[in-house]
Amino acid sequence: MFEPVSSSLGILWFGYATASAYARRDSAVSSEANALREAVAGVVVNAQRSEVLFGKTAAALSELYSIAAQCSQPDWDGAGALPVDLASLSFAADFIKLIPSSLPLPEVTCDPDGAISLDWMESKIRVFSVSVSPSGRLSFAWLDGSDRGHGVARFAGGQIPPRVLEGIRSIVGHGDATLAA
Amino acid sequence: MATLPSLLDETVADGEPLARFLLSSSQFNSGAVKASAFIPNPKDQESSVFRHGSEPREGLWAIAATEVARERTIYGAGILTAAQVREVKLAVNSAEPPPRHAVITGWPWFPSDPDDQKARQKELALLLASQATLVMR
Repeated sequence: MFEPVSSSLGILWFGYATASAYARRDSAVSSEANALREAVAGVVVNAQRSEVLFGKTAAALSELYSIAAQCSQPDWDGAGALPVDLASLSFAADFIKLIPSSLPLPEVTCDPDGAISLDWMESKIRVFSVSVSPSGRLSFAWLDGSDRGHGVARFAGGQIPPRVLEGIRSIVGHGDATLAA
Repeated sequence: MATLPSLLDETVADGEPLARFLLSSSQFNSGAVKASAFIPNPKDQESSVFRHGSEPREGLWAIAATEVARERTIYGAGILTAAQVREVKLAVNSAEPPPRHAVITGWPWFPSDPDDQKARQKELALLLASQATLVMR
């Protein structure tokens, strides 16, 4: 007999939280303890990876792959666009998984150069758009009424650059950061 | 003033509407054209448009079917005027054939730093998208 989903998630969360606390502890006294801590840390990382595959993140990833499929052939835009680049697609998936739950997820678009673009559109004049290049660099630009700008940041895969996060927050109304190009 | 095979003037007037056809559902949402629809082609650094407004619709979709889509789905078009393009310091030049074809040129071009180039192009594309009217097929 299957357990209710809420019950399973509760047990999973308790185990995850306990393991997470243990993995962060830095008072291990032996090599065995260090080895155990590393093993637990691995479990935590896997749990975090699994966690993002639920809910709205899963929907965003599904949209990402669906849009990428639309742009998988040369000239998909009728104007000579390049097919979507697999490295850009992979970095875009990593980016989406790392978006804090407090922020809305982006709309996904293909660029004619094969990059994936992630857009937060509050209105036509309130937009933050970031393109993920095959090299993992982020080219971003924003429009906020009469204010506008652009910038470039490196996305190493482990975290979204703070400057980019602040830019998104300022557009979606979760912060009042001023962007500096 | 020179006249093109389409009988249009070679110079694109400020008041002329320009149509950027949308062949991916990712290029627009329920209310707006997205910036990526205006990002230039990486090979020639130009954005292809057609000198046609939202009306008559039959004429607009006939151009799309004949010159752009061929076997593919046309979802709609983003329409803006040549003046709106020039306001953001880009240029519009006629480029026939095909008939009524024009290109948006003058995009930032820095081959030594393609990521910076892309960011600058995105900023201008956001401005164009904010001015464009979405016309659905």
